[in-house]
Amino acid sequence: MIMSELLEVKNLKKYFKTPHGMLHAVDDVTFSIDKNKTMGVVGESGCGKSTLGRAILNLTPVTSGSVRFEDKELTEMGKKEWHEQRRDMQLIFQDPFSSLNPRYCVRELIADPLKVYHLCKGKGELEKRICELMDTVGLARRFMYAYPHELDGGRRQRIGVARALSLNPKFIVCDEPVSALDVSIQAQILNLLMDIQDETGMAYLFITHDMSVVKHISDDIMVMYLGCTVERASSKELFLRQLHPYTQGLMSAIPVPSIHYEKKRQIMKGELVSPIEPKPGCRFAARCPHAKDECRQTTPALEEVLPDHFVACHRVRELNSL
Amino acid sequence: MAFFEVKDLTIHYETSEEEIEAVNHVSFSIDEGETLGLVGETGAGKSTTAYGILRILPDRTGRYRSGEILYNGKDILKMEEHEMKNIRGGEISMIFQDPMTALNPLMRVGDQIAEAVLLHNKCSKAEATRRALEMLETVGIDPARGEEFPYQFSGGMQQRVVIAMALACSPKLLLADEPTTALDVTIQAQVLDLMNDLKKKFKSAMLLITHDLGIVAENCDKVAIMYAGEIVEYGTLEHIFDNPMHPYTNGLFNAIPSLDKDTDRLNPIPGLMPDPANLPEGCNFAPRCPYANENCVQQELKEVEQGHFVRCCRVNGRGNDNE
Repeated sequence: MIMSELLEVKNLKKYFKTPHGMLHAVDDVTFSIDKNKTMGVVGESGCGKSTLGRAILNLTPVTSGSVRFEDKELTEMGKKEWHEQRRDMQLIFQDPFSSLNPRYCVRELIADPLKVYHLCKGKGELEKRICELMDTVGLARRFMYAYPHELDGGRRQRIGVARALSLNPKFIVCDEPVSALDVSIQAQILNLLMDIQDETGMAYLFITHDMSVVKHISDDIMVMYLGCTVERASSKELFLRQLHPYTQGLMSAIPVPSIHYEKKRQIMKGELVSPIEPKPGCRFAARCPHAKDECRQTTPALEEVLPDHFVACHRVRELNSL
Repeated sequence: MAFFEVKDLTIHYETSEEEIEAVNHVSFSIDEGETLGLVGETGAGKSTTAYGILRILPDRTGRYRSGEILYNGKDILKMEEHEMKNIRGGEISMIFQDPMTALNPLMRVGDQIAEAVLLHNKCSKAEATRRALEMLETVGIDPARGEEFPYQFSGGMQQRVVIAMALACSPKLLLADEPTTALDVTIQAQVLDLMNDLKKKFKSAMLLITHDLGIVAENCDKVAIMYAGEIVEYGTLEHIFDNPMHPYTNGLFNAIPSLDKDTDRLNPIPGLMPDPANLPEGCNFAPRCPYANENCVQQELKEVEQGHFVRCCRVNGRGNDNE
């Protein structure tokens, strides 16, 4: 295979100016995604995972760092170039209730991106493509002239998927696409996304806070805490052993739907601290049960502790006896 | 002895165009100190059941069509409003899903809790305030923060305030309507832990409404699975998790991605829950059920083993042919 690496993000930073100082939403994040692969990003609200997705798509200008897509540098692109670039890079939003124009019917919603890019010549071709897309995402044709408010969350999210697919992108950022849906519907959408990947070789950046969803869909997983990557590994490896204290706490906090599952509940104390002008030191130190003076003074770098398993923690080797 | 019992409760919403059959013939009981999990998807009628118990349904549309709600043997539905006022927020209190909208944004949190205490106890304002600050401390908030307004708290902290308020009068029964759905998992674990501690401390019983079977497994004694306004399966934790019998319960378990097993494909339940304004003839689940045939008719709950009830015509009373 030639050049399977599709997207490469290096030292990406996104700071927001606030009246109280700079808010470090995404701080020095590095990763890459290959074709046909899914990178899962997990973390709690406010950890910068959505900002990361938006920064990659240039929906918010990056502060520094590089984003390369098929060997093109995206951060230096102008408006016109981005217009073309977006065809390859799409976004599925979290909330299928507010992300669709309530005055457009399903047909218009799906036709919209096709019209913007003049992809279909003539009405017949447009019609054909719309039907094709509706079939792909499993929307019955009878909904062609339905408005979003007439549809349930699952069907609305299918419209979101159809819109993202309409331009035949190579990469989609999925920003919590199933968190607004009930479990039985959630499974339908997850299956759909995986089927599309099998057929088209699409790459996903899958943002979620749900560990079981991310395990199911991802090849690699990145755990974020307050704008920083704290741990990154393949999905298999990460669920086999969690090395960072935050990942361990996050895992043990998930309620497991079984009554024969014995586990040590390790309840994390405290809450996220403010990401505005963070002091040097590990961002997790305030909640970490193992924090020492060193952790509060110097910021730990993301290191390859085991092959392809990266962790940002001063004490990782000592705590996991590696 | 069950001190709280709901019998054949039916609640409909009546509008000028249609009748929405939100809760149909629901029965369950809760013993002292026990936690019953009420599980179901959006629109299954879980919240309506809780609102119905407290008689806080919308006046214009909410209608009780049948049933009784027995609290210590007395029917709540037959009580005078002034009697109900004593119970509501005192002996039976509620934790709402969204702490941001459950709190008054213009009132200091200490005063909000004190208000609940004043309503249900004969005491001075100073005494109520003292009790409010004590409650804040119990839920792990620095009492000095009683002077602050809700917006100054994070979501998890706001939910703690709501819990403090619900527990301020040591209720006998706590109705918790998706108390942690708006919170992150690590904060959810903190809040659930706190609720369980306090439940023991105040010896309260709890009706825990949730859509998360994981939360049920870790917090409940009994479980009722609700679908389209009906309880389709009801039993102890062991009954539901070890021997689920209703096709919907099985479907729910299969749809969740597993953390400890590798699955290539999830098994979603095909289709959607029926519109409660337009329920199908016969079994409500039949349109989505893999086992359904033309013989699937409306079913009563049947006891298949001691304390385990299933509403499915493929399941025989005391003995199961649903394999």
